[in-house]
Amino acid sequence: MNINVRILTKSVAQQYAFKRIVTFSTKPTQQAAAAAVPQQQEVTGSTVRRPIVPAHYRFVYPEFLPDPKVEWRNTIREKLERLDMLDRRRQIELPEFYVGSILAVTSSDPHAAGKTSRFVGICIHRERCGLRARFILRNVIDHQGIEVVYELYDPTIQKVEVLRLEKRLDDSLFYLRDALPEYSTFDENMEVESLEEGAPVPVNDIKVVLRPRPWLERWERQNLLGVANIEQYIKDKHRKSSEKAQKPWEKYDLMKQYRATIPEEEQKEIFAEVHTELHTLELQRKRNKRKRTFVKPKHLA
Amino acid sequence: MNQADVSKLISQLRIAVRPNKRHLKNVDGPEGRLLKLRKTVTALVKHERIELFYNRADEARGYAELLISNAIRHGDRHKATMELADYWLLEKQLVHKLFKVLVPRYENSNISYTRMFKAPRDYPGIFYRKSVLELRGNPFPVLTPDNSQNRNLLHNVLLDEARKEFRREKLANLANKLAAETENATPSTPAQVPVTEQPEQSEEAPKA
Amino acid sequence: MAATTKLFRKSLGALTQIQQYRSIAKLPTSASSAQRNELFNLEQRRQQDAIGRVEKIEVRYLGLPEDVTLVMNNNISTPYNCAQHLSEGHCKRSALALIDGSVPWDMHRPLQESCTLQLLNFNVSDPHIVNKAFWRTCSFMLGAALQRAFKQEANLQLHSFPGPNIKSGSFVHDIVLGVQNWEPTKAEMRAISAEMVKLAAQDLRIERLEVDLDLAKEMFSDLRFKSEQLPSIAQQHQSRVTLYRLGEHIDISRGPMVGSTRFLGKCTVVAAHKLANEGASNAFYRVQGVALPTGFALNHFAYGLLEQRAQKLNSARLPTEPFEEQRQMQLS
Repeated sequence: MNINVRILTKSVAQQYAFKRIVTFSTKPTQQAAAAAVPQQQEVTGSTVRRPIVPAHYRFVYPEFLPDPKVEWRNTIREKLERLDMLDRRRQIELPEFYVGSILAVTSSDPHAAGKTSRFVGICIHRERCGLRARFILRNVIDHQGIEVVYELYDPTIQKVEVLRLEKRLDDSLFYLRDALPEYSTFDENMEVESLEEGAPVPVNDIKVVLRPRPWLERWERQNLLGVANIEQYIKDKHRKSSEKAQKPWEKYDLMKQYRATIPEEEQKEIFAEVHTELHTLELQRKRNKRKRTFVKPKHLA
Repeated sequence: MNQADVSKLISQLRIAVRPNKRHLKNVDGPEGRLLKLRKTVTALVKHERIELFYNRADEARGYAELLISNAIRHGDRHKATMELADYWLLEKQLVHKLFKVLVPRYENSNISYTRMFKAPRDYPGIFYRKSVLELRGNPFPVLTPDNSQNRNLLHNVLLDEARKEFRREKLANLANKLAAETENATPSTPAQVPVTEQPEQSEEAPKA
Repeated sequence: MAATTKLFRKSLGALTQIQQYRSIAKLPTSASSAQRNELFNLEQRRQQDAIGRVEKIEVRYLGLPEDVTLVMNNNISTPYNCAQHLSEGHCKRSALALIDGSVPWDMHRPLQESCTLQLLNFNVSDPHIVNKAFWRTCSFMLGAALQRAFKQEANLQLHSFPGPNIKSGSFVHDIVLGVQNWEPTKAEMRAISAEMVKLAAQDLRIERLEVDLDLAKEMFSDLRFKSEQLPSIAQQHQSRVTLYRLGEHIDISRGPMVGSTRFLGKCTVVAAHKLANEGASNAFYRVQGVALPTGFALNHFAYGLLEQRAQKLNSARLPTEPFEEQRQMQLS
């Protein structure tokens, strides 16, 4: 069927008196506009009541937040893991601690005398989440730096004591490996330094002194706050390369931050789920502590 | 199994977020990528509706959403948010627009602040998919026709008729019940069945 | 070796399955149906040949993207051909054409004079006309689906379908079956619905043809009910009868219908009510269904309500009542 088609510039002298059917309209109808207004009011009027979760919980229990990597998320697995974590916390006291706190961990050890070993050290790193949460303790024993990796929910752990609860200026203290040994030396028989109840966790702003190069990592690139003498050991070429390696735009990369965090709404949901349990455990611990501190005077003679 | 970053608290986005970013090929690397996106976000805040390639629009959408959500969350007295707005909006008068126009507009909203549509691409043209990115509540005419409001569409006609019939049946039941009651109450007088007025079926004549 | 035998067994199993399936879905293509199609083809050819000298007409298209005037061939070009000059989207979307702003015109019916043309789809602001055509097409397709679904032994004869009335909630096709106490099960209804869906998936073009009464009588000579209806239909249209064809299925209808079976989206054949006995062993049944055009999304609850409503016996004119009234109803 061959059809010659011409688009005639001058329209046919025909008058179309009838109404045209609108095949596509972008104007919202009057009804739609009327319906849209009350709907919004309804939504704003309703408020959902949720249990109040303390804001600091995400710092105290970071391992309850899942890995933000979407491919690895599995809500059911996360929920089951949280239940297991709570179960473990009912068995053993896992206190609040941060990178920079000094901990003493007693764990089962088949090779040790008495089948248990106690290690005192400074927590230089916390990582992983859920049941796999772990931390690294560091100490210098007999002039030898020792680091032990403990899994927080490891069933062989018998006791976790916080000897000194404090924070440092940096998120991880791997630079202690390159610092002078006195900065990571802690007495094995250290006493527990108790904090006042309700007081904020102190930040220890000590600046450690590094050994001369070579170092394990390029500390000059990491913008460390807790190191005193980095400038002493770096040359111009180090300075230049460090400048090049800086990523000042990352603090504005909102989506990168978003993909690295769990959004607030989700955090609320997670902590609302475990909050009551954790709170009762905390209260129980406080009661036990008070019992322990108050010692009844013995009858003398 | 990495630990989530707890130092920042961010509101959940109301849009679907891709698990990974797009690199948006750029010679200046990540910084150049962000500059590209800053231009897009600035244009979006300025013009409220822009047409561009799909990938770039989808990437910029998340940033625009987060910028607005942060502005709503912290307000204009928060230094970090101000810095953020200053970085993302290349034209400085738009910072005022963000805090004084967009924040009040979206304060009570519980849906996403932006909308994105797939746009047709002309043939033969550049292969990339195109899209339209817009802020909600913009002054332009809407892009999608609203099907739910046109009562003459087939499904709406069917549903309306079903509703009418349901009401008729209900009224008839009620009337029967009343009739039965009145009969029981006064058996001597003939029962008066209340006449239920049937909803008039409006004859929809074709307007053409 | 074991693998090959396994594969062989598998394929054999599949083959037998297909054969079973074939035997179920086998079309009752009797000799008469083939003959009817043959006559239809011949008449179509004859009408095309009778055009002779090709005359040009000017078709003024009104609508998106812009109003244009197309020069088309008289009695050859259809609204679909006009849509082909506009875009692929117009071809796909347009279900019905509107000639001179008031006359609904099938997409595949040749235009007969210079006119204005509007292409209608189901989303236009006033879809009344196209909805009606859709409902009529559903009834017509239901006839084809029933023909495909029933075996020869069921003794199925299509009677007719009343004019489309969307407000009644269901489209209807009246049939005569060789059983007097058929109570359809859910599975049977589902099988007929599946036939409808298959028809829609096949994307069959719905053809229209106007024939003389004599030819129509010849075509439907073996179908008692159709031959009875033919004279009164022809009486109202200057002894012309309009036929529609869908695949192999041919039926009498006044039209218009939508351009293709593709426009049938969600569809359920809901119920079959017995109307009356016919003769010693046959009986009238009214098969009812509900459908939506493609692209109309309705949640399952709302659609379930429509299905429930469609189960009630449709109040349209019964096939046992005199025929003239029906024609008048359709005309109104």
